[in-house]
Amino acid sequence: MTQMIEAVMVLLVLTNLLLLGTSRLATCIRTVAIQGVALGTLPVLGHAHELSLRLVLLAVGSASLKGVVFPFLLFRAMREADVRHEIEPFVGYTASILIGIGSLAVSVWASSRITLPGPAVSSLVLPAALFTILVGLFVIVSRRKALMQVIGYLAMENGIYAFGVVLVGEIPMLVELGVLLDVFVAVLVMGIAIYHIRREYDHIDVDELDALKG
Amino acid sequence: MNLEGLVPFALALVLAPLLLGVINRTKAFFAGRRGAPLLQAYYDVAKLLRKGAVFSRTTTWVFRAGPILSLAAMLGGLALLPVGGFPAVVAFEGDFVLLAYLLGVARFFTVLAALDTGSAFEGMGASRDVTFSALAEPALLLGLAAVGREAGGLSLSGILPALTAATWLSAAPQIALVAAALLVVFLAENARVPVDDPDTHLELTMIHEVMILDHSGPDLGAILYASVLKLWILGGLLVGVALPVRTGTVLIDLASFLGGLFALAVLTGVIESTMARLRLVRIPQLLVGATTLSILALILVLR
Amino acid sequence: METRHALWLVLALPAAGAALCPLLRTRDGMLRWALGVVAATAAASAVCIRAVFATGPLRVGGLLHLDSLSAYHLGVMMAVFLLASLYSITYFRHETFTRGGAIRYGGLWLGSLGTMALALLSNNLGLMWVGIEATTLLTALLITVHRSPAALEAMWKYLLTCSVGIAFAFMGTLLVAAAGAKAREALVWTSLRDAAATLDVGTLKLGFLFLLVGYGTKSGLAPMHSWLPDAHSQAPAPVSAIFSGFMLNSALYCILRYVPLVESATGGSGWSHRLLVLFGLLSIVVSAAFITFQNDLKRLLAYSSVEHLGIIALGAGLGGLGAFAALFHTLNHSVCKTLGFFCAGRLGQLHGTQDMRRMGGSLRSSPVWGTGLLAAVLALIGMTPFAIFMSELLIVRAAIDTRSIVSLVVFLAGTGTVFVAALRHAVRMAWGDPVGERPPARATPLDVALVAMPLGVILVLGLWLPGPLARAIEGAAAVIRGGRP
Repeated sequence: MTQMIEAVMVLLVLTNLLLLGTSRLATCIRTVAIQGVALGTLPVLGHAHELSLRLVLLAVGSASLKGVVFPFLLFRAMREADVRHEIEPFVGYTASILIGIGSLAVSVWASSRITLPGPAVSSLVLPAALFTILVGLFVIVSRRKALMQVIGYLAMENGIYAFGVVLVGEIPMLVELGVLLDVFVAVLVMGIAIYHIRREYDHIDVDELDALKG
Repeated sequence: MNLEGLVPFALALVLAPLLLGVINRTKAFFAGRRGAPLLQAYYDVAKLLRKGAVFSRTTTWVFRAGPILSLAAMLGGLALLPVGGFPAVVAFEGDFVLLAYLLGVARFFTVLAALDTGSAFEGMGASRDVTFSALAEPALLLGLAAVGREAGGLSLSGILPALTAATWLSAAPQIALVAAALLVVFLAENARVPVDDPDTHLELTMIHEVMILDHSGPDLGAILYASVLKLWILGGLLVGVALPVRTGTVLIDLASFLGGLFALAVLTGVIESTMARLRLVRIPQLLVGATTLSILALILVLR
Repeated sequence: METRHALWLVLALPAAGAALCPLLRTRDGMLRWALGVVAATAAASAVCIRAVFATGPLRVGGLLHLDSLSAYHLGVMMAVFLLASLYSITYFRHETFTRGGAIRYGGLWLGSLGTMALALLSNNLGLMWVGIEATTLLTALLITVHRSPAALEAMWKYLLTCSVGIAFAFMGTLLVAAAGAKAREALVWTSLRDAAATLDVGTLKLGFLFLLVGYGTKSGLAPMHSWLPDAHSQAPAPVSAIFSGFMLNSALYCILRYVPLVESATGGSGWSHRLLVLFGLLSIVVSAAFITFQNDLKRLLAYSSVEHLGIIALGAGLGGLGAFAALFHTLNHSVCKTLGFFCAGRLGQLHGTQDMRRMGGSLRSSPVWGTGLLAAVLALIGMTPFAIFMSELLIVRAAIDTRSIVSLVVFLAGTGTVFVAALRHAVRMAWGDPVGERPPARATPLDVALVAMPLGVILVLGLWLPGPLARAIEGAAAVIRGGRP
């Protein structure tokens, strides 16, 4: 099973790099959805020998939320906001990928310095999760379209999810559901916000949201 | 020096032009044409060798030396490549670096020859070729370093035979990453779609083809032959990593290698038929992406 | 029914109230309904709080837990919400407000009350996080009850900054859970407290850093406060009042929950205390700088919240008497800042601007609200005899007790700067030359009560601290110090 978890982690890293390198909004939405589905399998992979209905439900729920519902909401927001398909980043794509490689190195280095209690599932999980969080943060600050910030937030959330499922494991169902619900509402509310920003401003470029200062 | 390595060496010399035929036949199939004969590359080389060469008065000896030196570098590179169950003709520690730089030497002389003509177009092609190969080189070297570390060797003849089907089981992500990176390098270095289009005849968009516009006769033949050898070398590396069939029976290993190589040629044809050439500004991203894959593989191997 | 089951009522009443909002027909009916539900929730809370201070912590399973720390915060929250719900009625009388807008407002208002209560009541640290994150999402929509470009901008910044911040807090929560792998239930606060000695110290410290940055963003500690002035200045005044009055404190409360865990796991090394002091002092200094050059009244009040949250963090970080002072200060600041935003909101409506340079002569244009604002600002900057002066004095004493000379100097310099800068603004607003002539606004008895009640509270508390309240604060401070309540 460690093999499978590592494969998911490698997929996570690759999708992060795709997120940094692509210029298409639709590709970004699908990339984060793929991450979500891949991560949805983690609870099952991480506890394959003691599979319970709870774990399976959780995996199905989280995968369908992140793989179906979020892309649907984001594509709808994209349609409603009528945004152009190019992302228009503040930092270019090649530079973004290079920064990505840098943060990958940082994640690997940082993970080697952190010792976590509990059983080590795979030495790859921590760097991959940290890397995903860093990429999410970078996407939030380096992209102009408000929709990309939602995507960055989701990528970050994915990283934390990977971290949580594999390293902590025993989280009560209620908390898991609450977290999923919160993320769902967050995407919903951000979608509403984007819709209204578009109506008031005729664009969703966050660098032009600069009226409030001081 | 391994004399038995001469068998695949000779095989490569004979069969390499066939790869081009397979690629073109695949493309013709997708386009609904009958296409050129499989042996077209042989006919082309033979025809070119029979013709005389024309040299521009503005060129110097550099222009004439370019094709021959490229071909020599390719032959040297081929001698370093182990195939199937056979070791390479020449093998020593760190020879994969030499292989990478023999490819570099070949490119260096092609570029010099192109610059020697003083043509603006050829200079443009040369600059693009150098840019892209500079970006592809780390992907190749780091990818080979990763498999080298995985297999525990520094010589190609030590690395490639040490990879087996079991390696795929124990280190699937690493091997897959390196294979993907090598595929991009393979396409980029051999001037195939999506980096360059060998069929195009618009100088503004060409990369490799535009550099050899002024060569003719035997020189062009040497360039053509060197390019199919390069196809063989890089394809051989990729097949050696991605399809490590090591049964111990020489014939089966060799057959699977050749099968893999020609399957790769078919794949290349499929890629060229289904994908469009990337815009020039996107190509560095593709190559940096390939480098990233190699780095990731290396990180995975090293941890 | 046992008293502890009233805890469910505290959560269920706002939720049910919010769910029923679409049935209401008029704007005023909506606002009265919200007030009624808040009052009912307050009554249920009062029963629980009484029980906590009379007989000890209430607990329902592993989920809900009300000890003196959360009971104290619950009390402050209900007071702020009651006042703000009352104020909504008078504030929105002067605003255009559609029925749909009113329903949205009422639902979100009660919803955010419920989620904040969830954060306070939950014994499970994961649920606590869920409550805070849900608060962020609901209150974000409250900012844009009146849709203007500036409000949307403020909402977007608030939503994104706090969502990211709180995502960090979740990372921290997970790390704490990983550190508590040996505890019986790794996410349950009480079992973590009981097993504090077995916690993995390195992981716990790392988790606390994430939590401090994460919840610190939500509670407006510098340098993560960037969203705060925007959101406060653009939200309707009642919303600003609950933002400053309690939402910031609810996030700080979450940090305070973790302090005893870290301290007992590290054997009382004071590591988490030093971090709190650092962030507290930074907040005081940064807000002092921004207050000095501020012209917008609501932004001034918002930066003052950064300052006071910094003071609370500083107090909690000083420990000992400081914890008592910090909690006392929480109550004083919440009441006082609520009053401040009430007055700022109504004066803003009367003057048609929030620019303090154009709000001169507010004592004449509206005696009630003008007086309220003057008193609120004076109290906020630490004038005697208001209660904030007393709690700040206690913090000074705590700093002297613990020989934290650097903290003391920075604290005094920061609050001194704020004192001078804000006093200048307050005087100009109260007695300065009015821009344009307008007749004095008439005040209803409700207006007078809304100013008089908070003002009375901070005035009385400044002069006399009732015994039961002192014991309640002492009990809550004991939780932060790590002792058993």
